[in-house]
Amino acid sequence: MMNSVIKETDNQPMLEVKQITRRFGGLVAVNEVSFDVHNQEIFGLIGPNGAGKTTLFNLITGLIEPSSGQIFAQAQLISHLKPHQIAAKGIARTFQNIRLFGELSALENVIVGRHLHTKSNFVTGILGLPQANQAEKQAKQKAKELIELVGLGDRLLEKAKNLSYGDQRRLEIARALALEPSILLLDEPAAGMNPNEKQVLSTFIRDLRSQFNLTIILIEHHVPLVMGLCDRIAVLNFGKLIALGQPEIVRNDPAVIEAYLGVD
Amino acid sequence: MVNLFNDYAPLIISMILGALLGISLYLPLMTGQLSLASPGFYAVGGYVAAIFSTKIFPTSGLYPWYLLLLEMMVAALISTLLGLVVGIPVLRLRGIYLAIATIAFVEVLRIFSLNLEITGGAVGIFGIPQPFNNTLEYLWVVLPLLIISSIILYRLENIRVGKAFIAIREDELAAEAMGINPTHYKVLAFTLGAILAGVSGVIAAHFLNTWNARQGTFDASIIYLTSVLIGGTRTFVGPILGGMMFTALPEILRSLANIPNLPLWLVGFFKDGRLIIFGVLIVIGTLFFPQGLVTPDLFNNFSKLMRIGLNKVRLKKI
Repeated sequence: MMNSVIKETDNQPMLEVKQITRRFGGLVAVNEVSFDVHNQEIFGLIGPNGAGKTTLFNLITGLIEPSSGQIFAQAQLISHLKPHQIAAKGIARTFQNIRLFGELSALENVIVGRHLHTKSNFVTGILGLPQANQAEKQAKQKAKELIELVGLGDRLLEKAKNLSYGDQRRLEIARALALEPSILLLDEPAAGMNPNEKQVLSTFIRDLRSQFNLTIILIEHHVPLVMGLCDRIAVLNFGKLIALGQPEIVRNDPAVIEAYLGVD
Repeated sequence: MVNLFNDYAPLIISMILGALLGISLYLPLMTGQLSLASPGFYAVGGYVAAIFSTKIFPTSGLYPWYLLLLEMMVAALISTLLGLVVGIPVLRLRGIYLAIATIAFVEVLRIFSLNLEITGGAVGIFGIPQPFNNTLEYLWVVLPLLIISSIILYRLENIRVGKAFIAIREDELAAEAMGINPTHYKVLAFTLGAILAGVSGVIAAHFLNTWNARQGTFDASIIYLTSVLIGGTRTFVGPILGGMMFTALPEILRSLANIPNLPLWLVGFFKDGRLIIFGVLIVIGTLFFPQGLVTPDLFNNFSKLMRIGLNKVRLKKI
């Protein structure tokens, strides 16, 4: 596989999750989970409903704090940082239940995603100083390019809430890419898509990786998609990591089969 | 015409001051934060003006304009500091809790001003000198202030900072995931609103000639909240229009009360019932115009209509 070559040349993991645990009262949503994600890997996170996948995403992006354990991004400890600081470290995400800025246009949504890369503040922006104006223009230009990349070029000025479900998912990806992340987290990007669209999405995600040198972690329920797309897969069940490895290994793992199919 | 302006000068100036306070409430609302602290800063600004002009620089005759500017700057500075000190802890609260905390802030200031010697206690401060020969000349300060605030708000909607405000209003969590520091922008919006309220207070104190603890109270919070909610919470034109409308409304009611041969209860209602009317309007407004009277769509439709109209005119010419 192409990716194993990259792994050998670059040993430093992009993301290290170490013994991470999150309790909600008596419920252990994520239980001592550890794994590494390598540079430019497409890493799948699967598991039955309530296995703790989205909680793990929320832990990585700082939306919730871990009860114990640590997370490192490119060797820097990030598990104590706030979400906006983690975003500044180059980690962007989409949400399972789409969280676009509904009243803003598609273009404005992605411009908001350019926040960290736009050199304009209250004073320079209000006064319209050349440097700030230039930065605002660049943000708009870059946002347009990203929207065209996800195929919404003709819906630039449409309010996000008026877009179709599939278009909203694509817009969320464009908004996340606007951060110029090195790690992109996709929470069920194929939800609600038909098999044909899923195939297109699969190719699209692979293209994203090579175009932007991205490391991608994705949560997905559709097993064939995950198996075909991911370099490695982690399987969660009741908050615990029960399997980790290449798709063909994970697929035949007895623990995984038990979690998905149940056992008498 | 000039006479008409002079007759209505007090109303015009109050309406513009109302618009300024509407804007000061709208600024934190841009980030989705319902803060009712504006009247508190307005009161502080008023006391700055009252104390400066009667105790520190007492003048006979016309109050010099540069001292008025100095007062405005001092009020802006104090409002900034107070805005930061209050805003940073209080903006950790959300929704109704934030509203309650800001009401408490306004109450604390009111109790202070009632009991401090420097603020004149319950009597307040009298005989604040006039910087202008006639009331209409107050336009020289309130109009530029309104224009500058409008330009700032107009620009804000098109730049990074304003977009961060709106992103936080739309979805704070998603905004944070985009690298926006919500606390930073909430405090910025809150402080900007505080500065505007403080500076408006300075002008209002001179304009009203007297300042006491009845200025900038919870009642005022509700009145300006009504004006912003009814005017519109999605564009800056809403609070300006709302602020003007609701400053004029009590005056209109008062003149209605002067109509001869009205039943006594109606006269009483017109004279003292304005808070009841504001309450009813808040309920009706939020039910039927959740975004207020001036909405962004209204703007878009209006500009569309204008374009269609212009095209028709052009076609006719051809």
